[in-house]
Amino acid sequence: MTLKKKVRAKFVKHLGKQFREDDTSLRVYSRDMSDLPSLTKIFFKNTPDAIILPKTVDEVQKLYELATENKVAITPRSGGTTGFGGSVTYNKGIILDVKGLESETLIEPIDQSVTVSPSIIFSELQRYLKLNGFSLCSFPSSFYSATVGGWIAHGGYGIGSAKYGGALEQILSLEVVLPTGKLVEYTEREDIELYVGSNGTLGLITKIKLKIKFDIPLKHFACTFDSPQQLVVGLKELSSVDPYAVWFFNPKHVEELNEAYGYTLPDRYLVILTKEISFEEEESEFHTLFNQAIRRAEGEILDKRYTANIFDIRFQTLSILKNYKDFLINEVILPVEKSGKYLQKLISSFNGLLHLEGELIGDSHYALLMYLYFEEEQSQLNKLLHNLKMYKNVVKGIKANGYPYSTGLWYAGYYPAIYGKSQYKKYKDFKKVVDPKNISNPGKVISPRFRIFPLIKLKTAFKIACRFVL
Amino acid sequence: MSSPQSWQVDVLEVAQKCVYCGYCSICPTYKELKWEVYHPRGILDQIKLYFSEGTKDKVKTEVSKQLFESVFQCTVCRACEDICVVDLPLLKVWEQVRQEAFKRGRWNPKLLALYNKVKDTHNIYGLPTEERVSWAPLSGMDMSRRTLKKAPLAYFVGCQASYSGKMGGIAEGVVKILRKAKVNFTILGTEEWCCGSPIFLAGGFTVGKNFAKHNLEQLKKLGVKRVVTACSGCYRAFKVVYPRVLGDKWNIEVLHISELINELLSKNKLTIKKSIKEKVTFKDPCELVRHCGLSEAPREVIKKIPNVRYEELPSNREDALCCGGGGLLKLNNEDLVKEVNSKLISEIEYTEADIVVNGCPTCLDTIQQGVKQRELDVEVLDLAEFIKRMVVD
Repeated sequence: MTLKKKVRAKFVKHLGKQFREDDTSLRVYSRDMSDLPSLTKIFFKNTPDAIILPKTVDEVQKLYELATENKVAITPRSGGTTGFGGSVTYNKGIILDVKGLESETLIEPIDQSVTVSPSIIFSELQRYLKLNGFSLCSFPSSFYSATVGGWIAHGGYGIGSAKYGGALEQILSLEVVLPTGKLVEYTEREDIELYVGSNGTLGLITKIKLKIKFDIPLKHFACTFDSPQQLVVGLKELSSVDPYAVWFFNPKHVEELNEAYGYTLPDRYLVILTKEISFEEEESEFHTLFNQAIRRAEGEILDKRYTANIFDIRFQTLSILKNYKDFLINEVILPVEKSGKYLQKLISSFNGLLHLEGELIGDSHYALLMYLYFEEEQSQLNKLLHNLKMYKNVVKGIKANGYPYSTGLWYAGYYPAIYGKSQYKKYKDFKKVVDPKNISNPGKVISPRFRIFPLIKLKTAFKIACRFVL
Repeated sequence: MSSPQSWQVDVLEVAQKCVYCGYCSICPTYKELKWEVYHPRGILDQIKLYFSEGTKDKVKTEVSKQLFESVFQCTVCRACEDICVVDLPLLKVWEQVRQEAFKRGRWNPKLLALYNKVKDTHNIYGLPTEERVSWAPLSGMDMSRRTLKKAPLAYFVGCQASYSGKMGGIAEGVVKILRKAKVNFTILGTEEWCCGSPIFLAGGFTVGKNFAKHNLEQLKKLGVKRVVTACSGCYRAFKVVYPRVLGDKWNIEVLHISELINELLSKNKLTIKKSIKEKVTFKDPCELVRHCGLSEAPREVIKKIPNVRYEELPSNREDALCCGGGGLLKLNNEDLVKEVNSKLISEIEYTEADIVVNGCPTCLDTIQQGVKQRELDVEVLDLAEFIKRMVVD
């Protein structure tokens, strides 16, 4: 889609200075955390036609009306901090930057909730809550840059998800501008769940009411395991002791932590468990529970001296990247039960070079970040091949009852694997009603046609590439 | 002595190391402007294009328009560099891009005028050198016996405290405190040149270096071992920039007035007997806390006041909010200064403090304007003025 003059004029008339189309701005908005290798750019038109920065909900309503009327694709973008391409255009169109949508943050102490704008950054929200004695229940590790709206749109999890669940479990209500321009408020779970992980394909979230909790002190405990199989048994055991968060690494990543932060952590699978603890008695009681769980899983408790202040680097692990010239990241969700074998194969398929960092996101699943670090800058072709290999391994996770972390652009077509077939049907039916012209972030969630060979879908093209190129 | 080359970084290499995590969205001006072209990572993206050899001239010209505009919206608060997970030397990058803009004749006229004023008259106001000491008679003080005399300590007054009527109380405060504590000190008088901070901030290395050399020579002539200033810009220049520019030749101990007062109080050379009823808060100047790591001395001084009711701002120490007045932003975008400042004023309001103490004339001026605009009943004072009230008045 390229904006026609008359259509462009309508947007400019409506938004004035909040409309940009200079080449520099368009380039800056053409990427997210994972810069597309230039080779892949022939598959996507990730440079938008324009960017708009509405400041009011009225403006958003009007521009969605205009977009539907004139069949112009609108791609919402908030922090632009994930690597799934959800906030990057697939085939040009307009990027809607939600940063202009600000509203007062309102805490309701009695029902323990906070109402926020989608553009608020987690660290700022948490700071404000803490000043008032409250805390977020769960928040992403990209705490200093991710926005609440973006987190919901890509179906996020994070620290605290072990106890409080992911984005869906935090939401009490959503205010949404539908692609038709209509403003609606959803309070029922069956409506809200359609907006979690759907990448703004059903309209734009303009206000969010989140659950919050009292700010309870967090205590950290550590243990180690010898193998991936033991690790998943350990995760299962630890999920039963009501942890707030469970964070873990493979030995390769532990090695990096030692080097980067001066720790002397043992060269094994390391798990850091975080527990909300208010009283000393509670802590000693928990010690017993923790010890028993580790013993059952045949793990080893690690003395606290080894992990002193380790939670301080919770949001800083990307700093390891400064020692490398290039890197690639991908993420998959895996079941705690029976994923040991998958992990073993995953590690060996990258000849032990893969760095893994995981987070328990409930009783039954964990999110696994995979990093590949390179001491030399990689050629575009090499990057593409490594990317495909990671992609292939994420998709393989589906056979192990796992699924990609989010759909975005890269995993468009995997929505049923993530949220189930019945929800996918519900999603498609709803999409037909609210976005008949498919203007709201096309190319995401439902796999688009492959631009070069439109007979097949992008998802199929990726599959073929994984099969024949690797 | 360092050369411009050793001062500089490879801006393209730095930009290429950005991992795009977006943590630098903490930038106070990006938060107001909101377009990602003002986001530090967005600026790095533009740098990649502008400084890449393969970029066509037409594209460079197009990018430079936005890049040079973006980089001058920076308050040099250093929040981006502090939060950067891969430790990119972002301030050096912004400085060099400003320098590139200068080379291409792309500075705005106000900025250019300031640059020329400082270069020609050695002060930021373009006023005659003789007026540099006029703050003394205006405060009813005779500084002739203290001017250009041999002494172990020099008080570096700074352009704002020397020339600005609004800041005259700062110099008076410092001098009265030093006199009260019977400290042997000198001032450079008409031989004091601007510390060069605005020149360095604008990206002028060679001219800035002349200022550093001149001030060093004057201090050396007087046998000065320690220099004290109440201006966080001068403090940063002496503490961070001069060692980079002058190398080992700069071997003078640098003190902020808060450090010196704290030392005098600890050694009982100064005592605070008066108590205070008003509630007090302290705003950390970016140049003190983030650039130089100084945050405790001012607090220790304030807390030594008998019965003081002290409350921290919600964002304090390394997390302190920027007032918006730094980085020459006042010359580039005055409205943006007000918007950035508004968040700080809200925090001041939140504390319900009666007095906001500060350690930087630029912050002082910006906060005063913000408080006035919001019609708050809050007094904004420099630490020297505040302590002078407690020990002298």
